[in-house]
Amino acid sequence: MQPPSPPHHPGERQPWGAITAFLLPALLLYAGFTCYPVLRTWWNSFHKVLPRRPDEFLGLANYEALLLQDDIFWRAVKNTLTWASISPLVEVSLGLLLALALYAKIPGARLFRIAWFTPVLMSYVVVGILWVWIYNFDWGAANAILRAVGLKSLAHAWLGDPKVALPSLVFITSWMWTGFNMVVLLAALHSLPSEVLEAAELDNCGWGRKLVFVIVPLVKPTILNLIVLSFIGKMKIFDLVWITTKGGPLWATETVSTYLYKRAFEWTSFDLGYPSTIATVWFVIVLGSVLLLSWAFRQRQKLEY
Amino acid sequence: MLNLRSLVRAGTILVLCVYTAFAAGPFVWAATLSLRTTSEIALDHFALPGILHWEKFPAAWYGSNYHVYFGNSLFVVLTAVAVVTVAGAMAAHCFARYRFRLNRVVYFAIFSTIIFPPQITILALYQILVQYGLYNSLVGLALVYVAIQLPLTVYILESFFARIPSDLFDAARMDGYSEWEIFWRVSLPIAFPAIATTVILNTILLWNEFLYAVVLITDDNNRTLPLGIQRFMGDQLEDVGMIATGLMIAIVPVILVYAFFSEKLIQGMTAGAVK
Repeated sequence: MQPPSPPHHPGERQPWGAITAFLLPALLLYAGFTCYPVLRTWWNSFHKVLPRRPDEFLGLANYEALLLQDDIFWRAVKNTLTWASISPLVEVSLGLLLALALYAKIPGARLFRIAWFTPVLMSYVVVGILWVWIYNFDWGAANAILRAVGLKSLAHAWLGDPKVALPSLVFITSWMWTGFNMVVLLAALHSLPSEVLEAAELDNCGWGRKLVFVIVPLVKPTILNLIVLSFIGKMKIFDLVWITTKGGPLWATETVSTYLYKRAFEWTSFDLGYPSTIATVWFVIVLGSVLLLSWAFRQRQKLEY
Repeated sequence: MLNLRSLVRAGTILVLCVYTAFAAGPFVWAATLSLRTTSEIALDHFALPGILHWEKFPAAWYGSNYHVYFGNSLFVVLTAVAVVTVAGAMAAHCFARYRFRLNRVVYFAIFSTIIFPPQITILALYQILVQYGLYNSLVGLALVYVAIQLPLTVYILESFFARIPSDLFDAARMDGYSEWEIFWRVSLPIAFPAIATTVILNTILLWNEFLYAVVLITDDNNRTLPLGIQRFMGDQLEDVGMIATGLMIAIVPVILVYAFFSEKLIQGMTAGAVK
């Protein structure tokens, strides 16, 4: 995602009036609705922030309470990180397999592609409600299928059992995003020079070897991008959890976003300082892990070439 | 040998069909439920609709306030998309066209917020909107939507504008075009495909937006469609048939947009992921 360098006009006088006018609306929005809120959240995190009362400075007390004593927060961090590390692997590898199947010139490829992309266009609210029904213990499609094939003992209250609730939600996001990954990888495959694949064909190496030694290395930059995108998406996840489980049962599906929302708007403390501390800490964790991921991926790229 | 090949091929197609059923099945199921009454559904959850109960759609539309939610969503999304397209295109044109100190720094500052988790701004945005009387207002929500879609819009448009050859601008300048005319009459028409991509993409993403709406809107008459559906789900937990009708009201516009602009939409959603 490197931005291209701007056009170069040596010696040209720059019309600062026009530049300012073009940038002003975007910069005002950016300053007012992104920069200022970020700074204010950071400032809030050191205070007790109650409505209609001056903020009370607490120093690092919020951070101490959050990092050292808040077990629910750490549970939420663990859940979110689990989600964000499993999902990319599932989505990208399944997406790659499906993309390869379509790449092998299957009839109706266009239709398949359009159908598989559909879930990603729907809001998490719609998807969440649909899957609450699919996971329903008595009449949901999941248990109905299990019972129909004689696996009655595997039927679960999928979202009600703390042991399977989180995996069930991870499954929903994989269902949603695999098609997206497939379409992106398909585009990457189509942009490969066909000679390379033909050469591999001529060398008569089997599909498995071709996949591991030729195709995967060639689309690797795309794969790594998709992993980072999926990771970021899952670190933010809120809607799906809020619609399906609200973090329950017993914090089994609590994510950092849902916990923050609860602390800000559902717990009757009315304090926005402590949730701001959660936001600040989480911001650092998300940014740090994204930078770490991209750095690690770059290192590996360097080693190989 | 030939037989084995075609066997593998048939197997692949079968797998693809099964996956398609898996990906699309839930929506087909919702569509059947939306045309059946809850008492019919209770007898068999997977039967096809016998009598098509189209009357459930007007019932949900007027009886459950969906016409208000739909109108609110339409207003917020169209306003936000219009503003973000103009502001984003102006900024993107500027980043791609003019070489000035800090160009890349400012561009990167805006672009990098794509990875920010919304939590880092949402509590402060709530405070700010309350402070300026924009809390619980559609205008306030639309402003926030403009801000959250700005980085992506600038990113997609900048990469397109940057590919327009600068000779074109020099020629326009020689013809006596002002800087604004160059943007309005040269850049924009050429960039129309990219603009269309961002418009469609932003429309879908904001149509589905939930987190900011749930924090910034509480009044029932200002609810957007996702909030309305969630409220309806909470109130009528048992009325599966009616909820399904409500879901279809939210799904159908997205499907329609997708049917007409599938390639554009796929392009937009995947922009940036292919390197």
